[in-house]
Amino acid sequence: MGHQEEALHMTPEEQKVFEDKLYAYVGVEVCSRKPAKDAVNETMIRHWTEVMGDTNPAYTDPEWAAQSRRGKTIAPPAMMYVWNQEGYSVASSGRASDPQTEMAEMLNDHGFTGVLGTNVKQEYVKEISPGDTVYVQMVIDNISERKVTARGPGYFFETLATFSDQNGDTIGVQRFRVLKFIPQEQPAASASDDKLQVPTRIASPRGHDNGWWWNAVDEGKVLIQRCKGCQTLRHPPRPMCGECQSMEWDSIESTLDGEIMSFTALRHPKIPGYPADPICAVIKLGEGTNIVSNIVGCDFDDIAIGMKVKGKVEQVDEKTMLPQFYPA
Amino acid sequence: MVANIKDKAVIVGVHNTKFSKDSGVSELSLAAQAVKGAIDDAGLKPSDIDGFATFTMDSNDEIEVARAVGCGDLTFWGRSHYGGGAATGSLHQAVMAVATGMAECVAVYRALNGRSGQRFSSGVSGEIMTADAIHWGWYMPYGLLTPASWVAMFNQRWMHLTGVTKDAMFEVAHSTREYAINNPNAFFHGRSFDRAEYDASRMIADPLQLFDCCQESDGASCVIVTTPERARDLKQPGVAVRGVAQAAAPDQEQMTSFYREEFAAIPEMEIAAKNCFEMSGLSVDDIDAAVIYDAFSPIVLWQLEAWGFCGFGESGDFVLDGALRPGGRLPTNTHGGQLSEAYIHGVNGIVEATRLVRGQSRNQPEKDINHALVTSGVGIPTGGALLGKLDY
Amino acid sequence: MSDYKTLSLADVSVGDQLPKLDIDITSGLIVAGALATRDYEPVHHDKSVAQAAGLPDVFMNILTSQGIMSRFVTDWSGPEAVIKSLDVKLGAPNVPGMVMTVTGEVTACDEKTGLVDVAVTGENNIWGMHMQGGVQIALPVEG
Repeated sequence: MGHQEEALHMTPEEQKVFEDKLYAYVGVEVCSRKPAKDAVNETMIRHWTEVMGDTNPAYTDPEWAAQSRRGKTIAPPAMMYVWNQEGYSVASSGRASDPQTEMAEMLNDHGFTGVLGTNVKQEYVKEISPGDTVYVQMVIDNISERKVTARGPGYFFETLATFSDQNGDTIGVQRFRVLKFIPQEQPAASASDDKLQVPTRIASPRGHDNGWWWNAVDEGKVLIQRCKGCQTLRHPPRPMCGECQSMEWDSIESTLDGEIMSFTALRHPKIPGYPADPICAVIKLGEGTNIVSNIVGCDFDDIAIGMKVKGKVEQVDEKTMLPQFYPA
Repeated sequence: MVANIKDKAVIVGVHNTKFSKDSGVSELSLAAQAVKGAIDDAGLKPSDIDGFATFTMDSNDEIEVARAVGCGDLTFWGRSHYGGGAATGSLHQAVMAVATGMAECVAVYRALNGRSGQRFSSGVSGEIMTADAIHWGWYMPYGLLTPASWVAMFNQRWMHLTGVTKDAMFEVAHSTREYAINNPNAFFHGRSFDRAEYDASRMIADPLQLFDCCQESDGASCVIVTTPERARDLKQPGVAVRGVAQAAAPDQEQMTSFYREEFAAIPEMEIAAKNCFEMSGLSVDDIDAAVIYDAFSPIVLWQLEAWGFCGFGESGDFVLDGALRPGGRLPTNTHGGQLSEAYIHGVNGIVEATRLVRGQSRNQPEKDINHALVTSGVGIPTGGALLGKLDY
Repeated sequence: MSDYKTLSLADVSVGDQLPKLDIDITSGLIVAGALATRDYEPVHHDKSVAQAAGLPDVFMNILTSQGIMSRFVTDWSGPEAVIKSLDVKLGAPNVPGMVMTVTGEVTACDEKTGLVDVAVTGENNIWGMHMQGGVQIALPVEG
C-alpha cells in the first residue's frame, strides 16, 4: 500500500528521475545468445501435441512426413519459446536474476506491482526438426510512456527474442508486450471468500418490495403482482397500486408467453460472470405487463421486434436462477 | 399554472477547465478551478458568491468548494438528482434561488474525473446505493447494466417504429466532430472523422457503436447566475433565463422506463418543452441554435422531435437536411457536444449555449442568435432551458 | 493412414469460417499445458499461489493458448500448411470449469504468395475474450 501511494504521489521531478532509470533499460540485453539444454526431440514434441490435442502428422508421424513436401517431421512452430525455458528451478528457487527481473523489481519498488502479458507475436522464418538446437537471444526492445489503463497506471515494455539454430540461421522472432501497473483497489466483495469462486451474475438485492418476487424465481416461478382492490397487474412490484392506491395485493404466475418489444446485446465491456454478448430484451408478457430478460437459444441476427418467445426459469450459473426466453 | 421566473435570473459568468482523459488532480481542484474561472469571466469576486447548485452525483461538497475558492457567507445550496438529468436541473435550482431572493449570485458547477476515475461505461454493480440497487436489480442479472445498453434498448425500438437509419446517427456524430475541429478544448480538436471510421468502430450495444457514444472525460464546468439588476453592471453581456423546467412523466424510471404503453418515447422531455415555452412565451420558431444533450447520438434525434423541431420519426430527414450544421435551421452542439468535446454531464452545454447567445462560440453561426435551447439527459427525469439576450 | 488433406489456396476465400472448437478448461489441461511448455511459474500449477494473485484457481499459461490457436488453424488447413506467424492479444484468464470456444475467419488471401490470414478468437463462457489474434499460414498454390 505504501508503495502504491508513493507512486501515485510522485512529483513530476521524482517521476523524471524514476523514468530516467527505467528508460535506461531500453536496448539492454536480457540474455546473450545461448543454446537450449535439450535439442529438439520427438518426446517433448509428443508431450506437447498430446496436451494441445494437436493431431498434425507433420509433428509426430515420421512415415507420413517422409512422403510429405518437407520429407521429415518438424517441431510445432508454436513451441519455439519452449525449448529454452528455464525449467523446474522457476518453481523451486525462483526465476534467475537478469536485467528484465531487475527492471521488474525496480517497478515493483515504485508500486507497479501488477503484471499482465498483453500481446505476444511470433514470426517464423525457418522450420526446425528433431536434432536441431534452438539458440535464443533477448533484449528489452522498448518501454512506453506512463499510460492510464483499465488496470491502473503503468508502463508497457516489450522484449524481443531472436531464435536461431546451430548453424546460426534465424528460426524466428518473438515480441512479448507486458504491462507493469499499480493495481487498483479491488472491490470489497473480491477481498472476501468470494474471490475463490468463479464469478456469477450480479444479483438483485432483496428488500420488502421485491424480495418475494426473486424468492419465487428461485423456486422456478415468475409472478406478476396484482392489486386486490382493482385487479390491476403491475411490474416491477411496488407497495401501492397507482390506480386505486390499495396496499393489498397478491400475485399470479405468468405463463411466460411473450413478444419482443425491443432488444440489444451488451458487446462491450465484457462483464465477469456473464456469457459473452448477452442478449437482453423487453418482453411483453401475455398477461399484459412488460419484463426485461435474456433471449437465448438463437443468434442475435435471428431476433426481431414482434417475435414470439417462451420463457422458463433456469439456473444460469452456480448461484443464479433467472427467467430466460427462447424463440417460441 | 405557469411559473413566473422569466428573465428573473441571468447567466453572467461561464468557465470550462481543461478537459482531458487524466486530469491528474482531484475533482475538488477541478470544481474550484471552474468556479474561479466563471467568477473571473463575470467580473465578480469570490466573496460575491452566496449560493451553489450542483448534481447529487457530484463528489464535491459546496462548503469545500466555497473554502477552496474563498467565498464568504452562503445562504443557499441545492442539488438535483438523476445523473445528466441534473444539468439544467442545477440551473433550475439556481434560478429559483435568485428569483426568490434566497441568494444573489449562485454558482452552478459539475466536476468529475469521469475517465481516470469512476467511469460510467463500466456499468452499475451490486455495490451501489441501496435505494438504487433494487431498481438496477431488475436489469443487472441479465447484463443490461450500462448506459449504452439502456439507450440501445430504446433506440432499437424507436428505429423500428420510425424507419430512421444509422445515416442520421452518423450525421449527429459527424456534425459534432466538424465543430470540435475548431475547439482547442475538445477531445476531437483538429481531428478528421469519416463514415468509414464510424462504421469500422466496435459495437458497444446494438445498434450503438463506439462513435455513437460520448467522450468520458475529466474536467469541470461552471455557470454563475445572478439578478438582472446586478447583471447589467457586469462585464459580459447578460444571458437571461427565459424559461427553465424539470420534468418526470408517469411510469418514469431512471434510464429504464420500459413499462409504458409505448416506451420508444421521452414524454418527460415533451413536458419540459411545453413548460419552457409557456414560461418564456417563445415558440419553437424563436429558437436559433441549440445545445442538445448528446451522451449518445440517437438521443439528439429523439429530443428534436420532443421539442417540436420536427414530428415523430422526422428527425432523420431533419438532420440529413443539414439542420445541425453552421448554416442550418438549428446549429447544434457547436462546441462539439459531449460526443466530441467532453462529457461534463451537460454543464459544458450550458456554457456553450450562453456563449452562443453572447456571440462568443468558437463556431458562432453567422445569423443572430437571439435564443438558444439547452437540454439535460434523456431517459431519466430531465429538463431544459431557453436562454436569451438580457434587456439593457 | 496418410489420408491427410491440406487445403490449397483455391479452396479458401475471404470470409470463410473455420470449424468452431470448444475446449473444456480443466485443472489437468492447465497443469499439463504448463509442463508440456516447461512453464513452471507457480500460478499455473499451484492453486494457493494463483489465489494469492487474485484468481479463483490456477490459470492457463500463454504458451498453451498459443498452442491451441496454432492447432485450431492447422486442424482446418491440413498438415502441409506452413505457419508463418502467430499474433496473440491476451484477455481474460482461462480457469478450471470454463469452456473456451475458439472461432476463426479468413481475412486475407494472397494469390501470388499463397499467404492466408486467419483471425482467431477464443472466448470463455464466464469472462469473455481470452485470446484474440491472427495466424498467418502459407498454403500450397496448386498448379
